Amino acid sequence: MDPIILGVAVVNGILLGGLYGAVALGLSLIFGVMRVINFAHGTFLMIGLFIPFWLWQLFGISPYLSVIVTAPALFALGYGIQATIIAPLFKRERAMVLEPLSVLLLTAGVGLILDNLALMAFGPNVRGVQIPFASKTLWIGETLNINYARLFAFLASVAITVALSLFLSRTDLGRSIRSTAQNRDAAALCGINVSQIYNVTFGLGCAVLGVVGCVMIPFYYVSPTVGLAFGIRSFITVVLGGIGSIPGSILGGLILGVVESVAGQFVTATSASIFSFVIFILVLFFRPTGLMGMKV
Amino acid sequence: MKRIPFILGLCVIVLELSGSPVLAGEKVAEVNIGVVLSLSGVAADQGLQTKTGATIAAEEINAKGGIPVLGGAKLRLLFSDSQSKPDVGASETERLIQRENVAIMMGAYQSATTTVTTEVAERYKTPWLVTGSVANIITERGFKYTFRPNNKATYDAREQFDAIKGLTQEFGKGPKTLGILVEGSDWGKSHAGIVRILAKQMGYEVVFDEAYSPGTADFSAQILKMRTRKPEALITAMYTPDHIVFNKQYQETKLELPYGLHSVGGGSEVPEFYKAVPPESVRFMFVQEDFQIDITKVAAWTQPVEQKFREMLGYDLSAYGAQGYSAVWTIYDVLQRAGSLDKEKIREAFATTNITSGPALIMGWQVIHFDKDGQNVDAHGCISQNLNGKRTTLFPLANRPKGVLPVWPIPAWKDR
Repeated sequence: MDPIILGVAVVNGILLGGLYGAVALGLSLIFGVMRVINFAHGTFLMIGLFIPFWLWQLFGISPYLSVIVTAPALFALGYGIQATIIAPLFKRERAMVLEPLSVLLLTAGVGLILDNLALMAFGPNVRGVQIPFASKTLWIGETLNINYARLFAFLASVAITVALSLFLSRTDLGRSIRSTAQNRDAAALCGINVSQIYNVTFGLGCAVLGVVGCVMIPFYYVSPTVGLAFGIRSFITVVLGGIGSIPGSILGGLILGVVESVAGQFVTATSASIFSFVIFILVLFFRPTGLMGMKV
Repeated sequence: MKRIPFILGLCVIVLELSGSPVLAGEKVAEVNIGVVLSLSGVAADQGLQTKTGATIAAEEINAKGGIPVLGGAKLRLLFSDSQSKPDVGASETERLIQRENVAIMMGAYQSATTTVTTEVAERYKTPWLVTGSVANIITERGFKYTFRPNNKATYDAREQFDAIKGLTQEFGKGPKTLGILVEGSDWGKSHAGIVRILAKQMGYEVVFDEAYSPGTADFSAQILKMRTRKPEALITAMYTPDHIVFNKQYQETKLELPYGLHSVGGGSEVPEFYKAVPPESVRFMFVQEDFQIDITKVAAWTQPVEQKFREMLGYDLSAYGAQGYSAVWTIYDVLQRAGSLDKEKIREAFATTNITSGPALIMGWQVIHFDKDGQNVDAHGCISQNLNGKRTTLFPLANRPKGVLPVWPIPAWKDR
C-alpha cells in the first residue's frame, strides 16, 4: 500500500479517535467512581450538541464560544439528575453499592425521556451549523489534508483529558473523587461527603460532553437521535481503554479510530468496524480490565 | 372462557352501530377518502407535507363545488396516523374501510407501510392510490385495487443514468468510471444493486463501491479511497444526517468528481439539508428529485398552491406535498368518470385513467395512466443540478426550463 495513503489514513484515524475518546471520557469517569453505567450518555451528548446549535442559530454565537455556556449547563443538568433521580436509589441500597440492573434501567429511562422531550420540542429534523472555519483545510502536500475543525476537536479532546487528569490528581476535590472511587466507606470515614462527590462526578462526566458537543457540531449534525451512534462506540472505547481510566479512554478511542480508518482502506468501511470488535473481544479475553485499567 | 360470549356480544353491538355502506347511485353529500400517512415517528415530516398538499387540493375542489357528477358532493379527507409503523397503518386501513365508509384510500409514503396497507385494501376491494412509496413490489403482486402514479425504485436509478448519458451527448464528454456510496440499509443497498446492473449494461466501470453504516461521523476513509481510485462521477443514496457530514467533508477535502456528485434524493431533497450545509458543498450537485422542484417557474398556475403550502408549513412546496396535492386531484378525475361511489366502478375508472393536463400533473409528469398492475409506467422524477444556489431541473428535457445551461464537467475546486 502507498505509504502516503497509509499515513493519511492514520492521521484521519487519530483525529477521529481522539473524539471517540473524549466522548467516552464521561462514561468512564462516572463508571469508575460510581460504578454506574450511564445509559443516557448518548442523550447528554445530544443535549451538548443542541445547546451550541441553538445559540448559533438564534444569536449567531460561534459554537467554540458557546462552550462557556454549554459545559456549565451540562454540569448542572448532570448534577441535578444525579442528585434528584439517581441518588435516592443509592440511599435505598446498603453500603452505597447499587444493584447494577436497577440503576441501568433508571439511566436508560432518563435517556428515553430526554430524547423524546427533544423530539417534542425540536421535531425529528436534522440540523447543522455553518461556520467558515469548519470548511477550511490545512494542506500538507497534495494528499494530506487536515480539516481545521476536526484538528481543533482533536486538540480539545486531548486538552480535556489532560485537564481532567490534572484535576483528579492535583486538586482536593479531585483527590476526594479518587478516594471515593477507591473505597467509598473509607472515604466517608475520612469525612468526605460521598453523595456530594457523586453529584459532582456525574456533573463532570456530563460537562465533558458539553465541551465535546461544542467542538464537534461544526462538522457534525444534531437531531434528537444523534446520541445513538455514539452510545455503543463509547462503551467499546471505555472497555478497551480500561473502565475508569482517564488516559485509557483516549487510548481506546485512538485505537478504534486508527483501526477503522486503516482497515477501511483494505475492506469496505462497514466491514472495517468488525476489526474494532475483534480487538474488543481480544482485549476482553486477555486483559479483562482493559488496556489501562487497574486490577480490581 | 366465560368472557368469550361477552366479547362476541360486544362485537355484534359494534358491528350494528357501525352502519351500512353507502350504496351506488345514492345521493351523497360527502365522499369519504381515507388517508393513511406517517404523521408521527421517523417519517412524520414527510407525512405532514403530504397531508398539507392533500388538504390544499381538497379545499380547492370543495370551494369549486365538490364533485359535479355526484351532485356536488364534497370531498372529506379522513387522515389517519400510521405512526410510521406498518402494523399500525394496516389496522388503521382496516378501521377506515370498515367503520368510516371510505370510497377510496390513499397514502402511505413509507414503502413498508404501503406494502401491507394495500394488502388490506385489496382484501376489502377498496381502491388504493399510492403516494410516494417506491418499493418495486407494491405494483408487482398482480393487485387489482392498487394504483401508483409515481416512480418505482428502479426508475430512480435509471433516471440518474439517463441524465449522465444525456449530458454526455449534450457536451460530447462524460465519465467512464463511476463510484457508488450508499447507506447500508434496505434502500441504499437495493439502489446500489440496480446501479451496478445499469452501469454494467451501459459500459461504465465501477471503481469504487461501498456501503457505510448510517449515523457515521466520518467519511474520510471512503474519501481517501476515492482519491486513489478516482471515480469520475459518484452516485450516492444517503439519508439527511449522513448527507450533511458527507457534503461537508466533500468540500473540506476538495475531492474531485469531474462529472459530479449524483444523489438519488432522500437526504438531499429536504429543505433542512440545505440549511445545514455550506452552499459551496452542494454547488453543481445533481439530485434525482421526486418531482419537478422548479415547477412554479414553468407552470404559473402552481404558484398559488406553493403560496398556500408555504403559509401552512413555512417552506416551499416539496415533492411530498405535491404528491398529496396530485393524488387528491387524481381522485377528483376518477370520481368524475366513475359517477358513483360503487367501489367496482371506481376501480374501473382508476384503471382507465388518462390524465394529460390539469392540477394532478403538479409533479411534473406528462401523463397519469396505469398499466394492468396499477403502475404508471410513464411516471418520472426529475434530475436537478444545483446552479446559482438553486436546484434547477435538467431532465427529462421536456421539463427543463428555457435558457438553463447545465455545468458539465464541473470545474475543479481550485477553479471555482
